[in-house]
Amino acid sequence: MQKRLTLATAALLFLAIGLLPVLAMVAKTFYVGDELSLKIYQGLLASSKQQAVLMGHSLSLSLLTTVFATMVGMPLGVLLGKTDLPLRRSFTVLFTVPLLMPPYVLAVAWFAVLGKEGLIGHSLPDSGSALLSSWLFGLPGCTWVLFTAFLSIVILLTMVYLGAVNPRLEEAGRLVSRWPSVLRHITLPLIAPAILFAAVLVFLLTLGEVGVPTFLRYPVYPVETLTQFAAFYDFGAATAATVPLLVITLLILGLEYRCLHKRVLSLSAAPPGARRGRIELGPWRLPILGIVSGLAVVIVALPLSVLVVESASISAYVDAFSRASDSIVRSLAFSVIGATLLTVLGFFCGYLIHGRALSLWRGVDVLGLFLFTLPGTVIGIGLIGLWNTPITNVIYGTSAIIILGYLVQYTALPMRITAAILGHIPRSLEQAAELTGASWFMILWHIVVPLAKRGLIAAWLISYIFCLRDLGISMVVYPPGSDTLPVRIFTLMANGAPSLIAALCVILIVVTLLPLAIFGFWLRPGSNAR
Amino acid sequence: MSMIEFHSVSKGYNGRTVIDTLCLKIEAGERVVLLGPSGCGKSTVLHLIAGLVTPDSGHILFDGELVATNGTNLREPAQRGIGMVFQDLALWPHMSVAENIEFGLRAKRIQKSERQQRVREMIDLVRLGDDMNSKPGTLSGGEQQRVALARALALAPSIVLMDEPLSSLDGALNVQMREEILRLHSDLKFTLVYVTHSRDEAKALGTRTLYLKQGTYCTENKWTP
Repeated sequence: MQKRLTLATAALLFLAIGLLPVLAMVAKTFYVGDELSLKIYQGLLASSKQQAVLMGHSLSLSLLTTVFATMVGMPLGVLLGKTDLPLRRSFTVLFTVPLLMPPYVLAVAWFAVLGKEGLIGHSLPDSGSALLSSWLFGLPGCTWVLFTAFLSIVILLTMVYLGAVNPRLEEAGRLVSRWPSVLRHITLPLIAPAILFAAVLVFLLTLGEVGVPTFLRYPVYPVETLTQFAAFYDFGAATAATVPLLVITLLILGLEYRCLHKRVLSLSAAPPGARRGRIELGPWRLPILGIVSGLAVVIVALPLSVLVVESASISAYVDAFSRASDSIVRSLAFSVIGATLLTVLGFFCGYLIHGRALSLWRGVDVLGLFLFTLPGTVIGIGLIGLWNTPITNVIYGTSAIIILGYLVQYTALPMRITAAILGHIPRSLEQAAELTGASWFMILWHIVVPLAKRGLIAAWLISYIFCLRDLGISMVVYPPGSDTLPVRIFTLMANGAPSLIAALCVILIVVTLLPLAIFGFWLRPGSNAR
Repeated sequence: MSMIEFHSVSKGYNGRTVIDTLCLKIEAGERVVLLGPSGCGKSTVLHLIAGLVTPDSGHILFDGELVATNGTNLREPAQRGIGMVFQDLALWPHMSVAENIEFGLRAKRIQKSERQQRVREMIDLVRLGDDMNSKPGTLSGGEQQRVALARALALAPSIVLMDEPLSSLDGALNVQMREEILRLHSDLKFTLVYVTHSRDEAKALGTRTLYLKQGTYCTENKWTP
């Protein structure tokens, strides 16, 4: 009873805070004043040509980014997750770094490399630097930056699901064939649904991205939504403009759910602790190491180093702190609170999904993924539509609305992590405790949580990072005087000195990576905290 | 009146019937062994007795009192007075030996001094030695078996369920643990329901063996102890 009540409360809470803003937003598009009307949609249709062009840009950008990220990410994932390539762990961490920061920081970094005054642009003749600059400020540049930002999604998911393949299946193949053939005919077909799922995630995250296209001045559809809201404060038009994004996200996720979801989930059924086969690269080890190192330098090390070099002056950091110290503190506080609440809510929702304890589990699972892939600006506009009333001003008028936004968009992360971690804890451990008469909370506290500790810490860290790097929701809903660091940087980017912007980006990166380093040290091999 | 009674109990998973209208009576103090091939529903019978799963249809009675019926558990697992040794032993890896044994006593809110005394008694009972603060992962297979037994017996259950607990032990240790189980049964007089697919174990441990096939039992043997 205790268990069912708690899980039902968590599920209903998530369904309420997640679904109501979306429903309220859609409902509002059918009203002008208090009257039922399709006027907003008529306005949208009147500018349909322009909207179609913008949507075309968005879809092209998403498609190209997805294709490149999948084509490069999948082989890298196999190399890092399945072979004896040296420095695999270091490469994995390095390729993951871009995912930990708002993508527009990468755009700033690449501007410092490829811009007219940038590291490479500066050393080229005028015509060359102009060509490079025009390339950066357009579809190719946007695609390149977002490819580097989201590449690690494909790498990490490929690695995770390679680890979930039952080694017995590969061993049976290796009895009759060599590794390349086993990979091609057994391993990769088995994880194909997961790779397609990664591609869907990259596509939807790119579709909702506003920071990079705004900085690189490439007109895409979500920026239009934001412009309607921020520049013209036309809430009706902004809301109507979000509907096509909502529909596309729903369609793609519907397809994913119908065709891939069960097959992706079934991949996690491999026996835990089984010894996994590793591919020996033999004479190819060094040449492949060279290629992977080159990619890591070009994709990650180069732009970030240039960003650090550009910011390397005391005056830039003094200026950065004087202009944004309040935002830094706020960002840290919001992210810590947000991550903690997300971990608690995500734990209960993840427990529900893992155990399928209530019939609500499927709804919670689907909604979590849907909200995660929905553009942050759309969620922000939905939150305003729902909470901007005199009665709820205590939430809308305060920083609570930002935290609520985090809960709406990012609960899927700790939820999925918890469900995956619980999958590795034998059910019999809980059953043994049930037989002793322990209450459900006692079982959670003494058995489940300690066993899932590392996973829960990872869930908190990932939630923290996503809260800290959030731009879409924060930019739309932050109350006056409560902007976060990513919003402050984004605002200053329009007319701030490059060294100041670079310094702020470096501060953001450090603030993001600091808890990772602390927890990494705390949980290092041999530490008592493990 | 039998201690455990199954009346036409059925249970299925994902549309596949695992237990099919099973009728069963187990008397107090008996040692009943459930024998049968993999997938015949032996473990499901134990889970039904323990209350960890609910019968789709039929009734389960303890001492004549209904504890589960047609999709409803009327008595929670913890209220059935059952100790269980799982196939994978299910020792909590983050807890010490003592903490594993003590957990059920804590759940029953027994005072600390009494808990510690009971843990000591259990450790002596299963002849575990003095290494109470070790984690289960550091123990040998035989020692882990003893911890699992001690934990199952800590609350003095009237019924003890064992789900192939010796399947991972080699010959000599397996025989030694069988003798240990018989000694404990003789001392504590609990009702034992033991699942195995080893005829040797069945013969050594059971006063009665039920051979399960496709979710219902087809033959019954009584062994002379």
